[in-house]
Amino acid sequence: MCSANPLMPQTATVLDITAETPDIKTLRVSGKDGLPFEFMPGQCAMLSIPPVGEAIFSITSSPTCRDCLEFSIKEVGAVSGALHALAPGAQIGIRGPYGNGFPVEEMKGKDLLFIGGGIGLAPLRSLIGYCFANRKDYGQIDIVYGARSPADLIRKSEVKETWAEQPNTNVHLTVDAEFPDWQGHVGFVPTYVAELAFTPQGKVAITCGPPIMIKFVLQALEKLGFADDQVITTLEMRMKCGVGKCGRCNIGPVYVCKDGPVFSLAELNKLPTEY
Amino acid sequence: MVKKLIAVDKLPAFWSHLAGQGKLFLPVKAGLTVLFKEWTEGDEVTLDAPTSAVSPKDIFFPREETYMRYQCRGQTTELSAGEELGPVTAFGVHPCDLKAIEMLDRVYINQDPPDELYQSRREKTTVVALGCTAPDPFCFCGVMGVDPLSAPGADVMAHLDLQRGNLILEAQTPKGVMLLKGAGSLLAEPNGKTFTPAPVKTADFGMKLEGLSESLKERFDDPVWDKLFRSCLGCGVCTYVCPTCYCFDVEDYGHEMAGERFRCWDSCMYGHFTQMAGGHNPRPSRKERVRQRFLHKLQYYPETYGELACVGCGRCLRSCPVNLDIVQAIKALGGEQDVQR
Repeated sequence: MCSANPLMPQTATVLDITAETPDIKTLRVSGKDGLPFEFMPGQCAMLSIPPVGEAIFSITSSPTCRDCLEFSIKEVGAVSGALHALAPGAQIGIRGPYGNGFPVEEMKGKDLLFIGGGIGLAPLRSLIGYCFANRKDYGQIDIVYGARSPADLIRKSEVKETWAEQPNTNVHLTVDAEFPDWQGHVGFVPTYVAELAFTPQGKVAITCGPPIMIKFVLQALEKLGFADDQVITTLEMRMKCGVGKCGRCNIGPVYVCKDGPVFSLAELNKLPTEY
Repeated sequence: MVKKLIAVDKLPAFWSHLAGQGKLFLPVKAGLTVLFKEWTEGDEVTLDAPTSAVSPKDIFFPREETYMRYQCRGQTTELSAGEELGPVTAFGVHPCDLKAIEMLDRVYINQDPPDELYQSRREKTTVVALGCTAPDPFCFCGVMGVDPLSAPGADVMAHLDLQRGNLILEAQTPKGVMLLKGAGSLLAEPNGKTFTPAPVKTADFGMKLEGLSESLKERFDDPVWDKLFRSCLGCGVCTYVCPTCYCFDVEDYGHEMAGERFRCWDSCMYGHFTQMAGGHNPRPSRKERVRQRFLHKLQYYPETYGELACVGCGRCLRSCPVNLDIVQAIKALGGEQDVQR
């Protein structure tokens, strides 16, 4: 089956499904011969389960992972619910990749500060994995990651064991409130970023999380002296086509599905605040 | 290029011939209105009527279009593409409506990746445009830069010579030549008499468009939006009749074993349009949605493609139940000529 129709998905197989938190699962998905398509960190894919429908998800695996794509998906609606209910071996529809991805070339030689909240780690993880696979191209890496509770942190063992062990890398975990079995930092992500007092020199900050977190993270970064072109975020919008035509995801004349989802704060500031 | 002539009373034979080559769409009387529909013997075709109630964009961008079928057996899912399309003739398209289709071409064909469903319909369709003879009081194509007597992008340009009872057809592309030659003796050679279409005048409603797009760049948060939307009922009829609206939805229809995926027209005037699964909605009220519709036509599209996404067909003026049409919006946004007193 080969079609030039950009809306036509190909079939892919769900290799396995891991429960990350009470409402987040990670699906490993493979095409007929490995990756369904080539992509860059920050890009997205349309996943579908007939007759439930299609929805767009960020790819959480790094393109350096060659045997499958991974999607960390929070159950919030019909398609995410149906994806959660699948068993390994099930076939789904997939099309993509969509969007611009993170500016991995421009980031070369810079120190990287990742700031993620909850499921917002999903798109960042693709870039983090890519940077670790190309470790010499990037400077110091700091990862601030938080969630409501310890049970809501995703990829826990990977974050604590693999990432924290990488050269020249610091992982800073936090949860919103005290929990009996939690020895780490307690507090909201934006406050923790301010406390950690990152210096902006030679650094790029990349943030993704709930809108309210992003709002306060941007304020914290500004106070720390980060310029608008040093701050990068990735947006989420309702999408149907993924190719800049169906008319849902525009912010002014910009389509998040093809011109985004990755924007610098400098770029976002030029757009209407309709996201 | 090839020029032919046919007596108006011989047209049904010509249509019957065209319908034999593939699907034929033309303006047909439907109750009190005129609609573009697939021709069947005996239809009351109206070439001298004002513009159709709904634009002929659905010849290229159907209201519903199935493009995928699925079959699920156990864990296996099979997805297959929809059927190939045959040739189509779109007959009697007004210059304003063809201009609108050329505006959709920019989004659906020129912008990568091309929309294959739209592009193949466009390629398989021969367009016979028709010079306007009967603009109604709502038409304002002139102010939008459309000549109601000429459609350079059409395969064939046709004019009604009402005095002599003829339709004059002139090919403008190789596809148009094929259509005229293919009709053989159904079409006559031009009789040597020159025909000049009668000039057509449309309203300008006192609009002034210079600098409008540019000025709107800074007016996203303008107080005008707090007032303008209030009469809007959110019915979405403006987007359904508009020839330059192109938003769509994608949905599945079927059960767990088999069914289809289709796309259908959608409207930025509806609340669910941008509503995300988690509940967040970037355009939560009619204010944001009315602003989106008018800024898309008057600022976003022009910023990307260089001209307003309006052809002055007048359909939103005829259809909006509360008169919140594009002329009212343009004037509320300052696009109004100085009134001389």
